[in-house]
Amino acid sequence: MFHKKQISPFGATLRRELARMKSRPMYFILTVGIMSFCIMFFISLFNEGQLQKMPIGIVDHDNTKISRQFVRNLDATQQAKVVMKPGSYQEARTEMQKGNIYAFVEIESGFADKLQSSRRPPLTFYINDAYLTAGSLLLKDITAMSLLTSGGVQQQTLRAKGVDESLISGIIQPVAVDAHLIGNPWSNYSYYFLNVFFPGVLEFVILMTTVFVIGIEMKEKTSRKWLRAANNNFLTALLGKLLPYTAIFIVWGFVCSIILYGFLYHPAQDCIFRMLVATVLYVIACQCVGVLIIGILPVLRDSVSIVMIFGMFGFTFTGFTFPIEQMNYPVRIFSEMYPIRHFFIIYTDQVVHGVDFSYSALYYFILLAYTLLPFLIFFRLKKAAIYQNYPIK
Amino acid sequence: MKFALYSTIRKLKVNCKETFHIFLNELKVVSHDRGVVVIFILAVLAYPLLYNVVYKQETLSKLPVAVVDNAHCHASTELIRNLNATPELNVYSVYTSLSEAREAFARQKVHGVIYIPSDYSKNINTGQKATLSVYCDMSSFLYYRTVLQGANHVVLDQNKDIQIKRLSEQGITGEAAQIIAEPVPYNDVVLFNETGGYASFLVPAVLILILYQTLFFGITILAGTAREENRFHVLVSISEHKGKTLRVVLGKSGAYFIIYLAWSIYVLKVIPMLFQLPHIGNSIDLIGLMIPFLMASIFFAMTISVFLPNRETGMLIFGIFSLILLFLGGVSWPLSNMPGFWKAFGWIFPSTHGIQGYIKINTLGADIHTIAKEYHTLWLQTLLYLLLCVGAYHWQIKKSLTKARLRRIEAHRRESATEKHPKEPNNTTDYKSES
Repeated sequence: MFHKKQISPFGATLRRELARMKSRPMYFILTVGIMSFCIMFFISLFNEGQLQKMPIGIVDHDNTKISRQFVRNLDATQQAKVVMKPGSYQEARTEMQKGNIYAFVEIESGFADKLQSSRRPPLTFYINDAYLTAGSLLLKDITAMSLLTSGGVQQQTLRAKGVDESLISGIIQPVAVDAHLIGNPWSNYSYYFLNVFFPGVLEFVILMTTVFVIGIEMKEKTSRKWLRAANNNFLTALLGKLLPYTAIFIVWGFVCSIILYGFLYHPAQDCIFRMLVATVLYVIACQCVGVLIIGILPVLRDSVSIVMIFGMFGFTFTGFTFPIEQMNYPVRIFSEMYPIRHFFIIYTDQVVHGVDFSYSALYYFILLAYTLLPFLIFFRLKKAAIYQNYPIK
Repeated sequence: MKFALYSTIRKLKVNCKETFHIFLNELKVVSHDRGVVVIFILAVLAYPLLYNVVYKQETLSKLPVAVVDNAHCHASTELIRNLNATPELNVYSVYTSLSEAREAFARQKVHGVIYIPSDYSKNINTGQKATLSVYCDMSSFLYYRTVLQGANHVVLDQNKDIQIKRLSEQGITGEAAQIIAEPVPYNDVVLFNETGGYASFLVPAVLILILYQTLFFGITILAGTAREENRFHVLVSISEHKGKTLRVVLGKSGAYFIIYLAWSIYVLKVIPMLFQLPHIGNSIDLIGLMIPFLMASIFFAMTISVFLPNRETGMLIFGIFSLILLFLGGVSWPLSNMPGFWKAFGWIFPSTHGIQGYIKINTLGADIHTIAKEYHTLWLQTLLYLLLCVGAYHWQIKKSLTKARLRRIEAHRRESATEKHPKEPNNTTDYKSES
């Protein structure tokens, strides 16, 4: 009764690609394996959110009630944990070189005596900034702690001198700095890193996958069959091939958003929908860059190497660790090539700053403009698929 | 007795000669493979240069911030002038309302807003505590740190002057005022990476990873290619007895080792000197660390490469590991705060101990005794991965030999089958005697 329905070229290409996806474990590793591993890795690594209780040492030459109290206060701070009491500066320095402590405090002998007789005993902190994250956080913590200690002493002395109570706090701290951290009030590392690493890893995986699924056709000389399935229309061939991956990676992008804003409660200021739209554009933009790379170099192994080098720099050129505008000019231009750079600006606007859509509209358009890239190498890639005239190894 | 000794020496000589032959052949293979040359030579040469160019600026300087001055007084003008004079900050513009500043912030023209409230001058003049609000852009933690650091420097300096003034109003002057202003003078000394530079902190770890990852990818490409071209490397499949496996492994790894020992000096010593990164380590200690690090890395990569079927498989699967290994190295996220499982996972990779060992020698000036933990772990890994590598290669050699033998038997059977039909009994006996 029914005629066997004629499959459209697009449908045939799509079907062919789905069959190919089942043929090798590599497809599964690229589309599912790497993303799952990285998501698990980064979530559990930054589970603490903030760095807490980092090991420090105390060289206590004084060893009196006051100095021991100071050690206890230090131990009670959020970031520091006193794990050892080395006998000397030299010993503490060696422990620091071994990486067992990130900072230590030296309390000179007679500290308590001098403090009580107002002879201003100095307190010295030694910080290791080779581990910059740990070092700078500990410095902040220990400084705050010691300001509090001297504040207590100041208060006592001023009261003893009979200074009016209402003026005391103005003398101890004439001007206070009240910090407001926009978009990440607890300076949470999990918010900070995950929001960039998830799209970053996604970009890398999309580039690798795109280059692989097209490149393998050239390498195994099956590209003509691929074209034939699409009725020799290269645009259909390309779309039919890449569409399954577009779908998979958009799902991954959404999964990341759900994890970040749904399960980990990263503060997102009513912009989920805008971020989801950005994610869709971002996935397509990354695929287009992948097509561009394999189009410029239709040799699988070379393109994979290029993606390795190009993709790894993506994390640097996002500009979230070290801001782009503080880098050299040529470096800044280079960063514009990465979809993640534009996605990051959208994320900063929408999620961190919580501003109106109009502020980031330009970057949505830039992500959209990436779809033009494949047309630059369209005929080159088509020729490569037909003539298979590039070395396969 | 004498004869036994002589034969042992001769055997050893033959072994050495063959190992050397494999070594030379591997160097030839490396130099003839375009992809491997790109990774072993070009990437190692260019990557450190690129990273240093990108991270040339160690700290943020003259970060644009907006100031909202609602106080309009002498004290607030002076404060703005002082903020602008810090190396960290550049006052982009002074606004009269917070909404104007917010607009500049939303356009990402400024990365911090410093708000001077209208009661600022009143509080300053009446001896009360004044508050300054600082709004920081959290899109990069470096923004936040820099803005806060700049503001704190200015405020702390200013506080000292105001304190002395206020104390003298209370009749406390001179030594007594100093004591109250700062009862416990504290100084913070940054022992290593004194400037708190970002490049000095991150790039040393990246340098080790460049060596480690290029070595890994180069080796997996070579192994993948060997597999693609013939079922197993020619040098391996012609051999039969066990001792040969060790020779193959040593010969090949020797070739990689020689190339990378030379590279280590460039990447780990010349580059830090060229780009003014910390390099206070002793060169002898550094080489002492590099020997087990490179060997462990080579044997590890060779072991893994046995399981990778194609040329590009290694890069496709382990490409993202460059990032994972950087974190497992415990530089950005301190090892003390890493979950136990990931710490154990990180232990498997020689890069983790390489990064830690290198930073401790190069940046912290530790000697080889101080980093005994990393040093011994790397030697342990060298031994462990050598055994695994020999085991894996041996398994592969046996497999290829079995395959070759099966094919020979198959061919033999086929030929004897075809010969049965024409019935020429003379030839079959020949084959029998051969097999």
